[in-house]
Amino acid sequence: MRRAWSLFCTAVHALLLRELKTRFGEYRLGYLWALLEPLAHLAMLLLIFGVFMHRVMPEISFPVFLVNGIVPYLLFSGMCNRALHALEANRGLFCYRALRPIDALLARSLLELLVYAAVYLLLMTVLGLAGEALSGDKLLLLAACWLLLFLLSFGLALVFMVTAHAFKAADKLLPMLMKPLYLISGVMFSIHVVPAEYRGLLDWNPLLQAFELMRHAVCPSYPLYDLSLGSLACWALALLCLGLALYKGREPAMLRS
Amino acid sequence: MIELRNLTKTYKTPSGRHRVLDDVCLTIPSGVSVGLIGRNGAGKSTLLRLIGGMDRPDSGQVLTRHSVSWPVGLASGFQGSMTGRENVKFVARLYCEPWQVRQKIDFVADFAELGAYFDMPIKTYSSGMRSRLGFGLSMAFDFDYYLVDEVTAVGDARFKRKSAELIRQKRQHSQFLMVSHSLGEIKKFCDAGLLVGSDGVRYFDHVDQAIRIFEEQQHAYLA
Repeated sequence: MRRAWSLFCTAVHALLLRELKTRFGEYRLGYLWALLEPLAHLAMLLLIFGVFMHRVMPEISFPVFLVNGIVPYLLFSGMCNRALHALEANRGLFCYRALRPIDALLARSLLELLVYAAVYLLLMTVLGLAGEALSGDKLLLLAACWLLLFLLSFGLALVFMVTAHAFKAADKLLPMLMKPLYLISGVMFSIHVVPAEYRGLLDWNPLLQAFELMRHAVCPSYPLYDLSLGSLACWALALLCLGLALYKGREPAMLRS
Repeated sequence: MIELRNLTKTYKTPSGRHRVLDDVCLTIPSGVSVGLIGRNGAGKSTLLRLIGGMDRPDSGQVLTRHSVSWPVGLASGFQGSMTGRENVKFVARLYCEPWQVRQKIDFVADFAELGAYFDMPIKTYSSGMRSRLGFGLSMAFDFDYYLVDEVTAVGDARFKRKSAELIRQKRQHSQFLMVSHSLGEIKKFCDAGLLVGSDGVRYFDHVDQAIRIFEEQQHAYLA
């Protein structure tokens, strides 16, 4: 058991370094690109919505609100989209028996986490220095949200990898199905602006739960209503179990040519 | 010892499933190197890939307690935009302790004789350089069984001699499972033979016997 675990860690570590090198190693600015890409995306949205449209939110400044929705959303969608191609992109590697598809997927996912966590820290630091009122009292809650979001996304990524292998059309269909999630997950709106009688239609969504909890964690005056970490944790656990079970069942088929 | 238990393998083709191996049951005893002999498309490489775990059977099992290499000289695991050194480092991280990584890299650099190319992206390599790197990489690690699929004829005469010498050394502790179009090569490196044909897979304790029967079959087919 312990040996299996250490083999797993070795494999993921080696793959992580490899992904870093192949994705960013060739460019002149190297690893900086990893951060610049999402930063540029965010800067544009902030400019459009924050400066030009003067959006305002209750109890929280708009840039802080937006960063705590978009960055975690990009992590989620990045992990899911990369999962669709994780198997084919690494096909040649599975001749090394020490490597299995789940290792490759986890390495890719950790890389996404690394990139977006760094982007998040960078942006929050900048916002803090720019004079936004941020609180450090609930860092533990913030960390828990990120961890649960990662586990949830990894569970779904496993489901996506298995589905993409089983059905060819999935890599076109799944991204299409994901698009509406961006709109209903509270990336751009706060659950407060939704009338109380409709809230129930939206607040089951674990992404929305994660983003609202993060906003509350950095800005404790931002109200939570009845969202809780427990519900998010249940979602994460359920999706992770589903993903692992599907993967376990389909692993031989994925390695068969 | 390697035991093949009810191994069945089919491939999807446009005209339905093509059965390559059908319920193969046999045991390869410990301490023998085996040459896989058969016509093109008989399933030699498939059998080798199944034994190495690179591919999975439709049903049945490959049972062994020994370590088995990936196909020697295999280049599909290489990442073209990474240098030879980086590719070797990646595999070394997977297959040995952290403190041995450097030593493995030095071995491959020395054996493959790529010079400055060792630090250039693999996509700039010629196919010969690629196979030399692949061969050196496999030989850097100790396995109980090395799988060889048509690669011993890599490089110039001197490199071939060097490779043959290294295989001879390795034979003292490890075994080879080999597919080659050259029966002479199989005779040189193998003790036993596996005859892979449309009528199934048969094991022979002596490689000469397997080769003789294979040649008789070929003659009967031509006549």
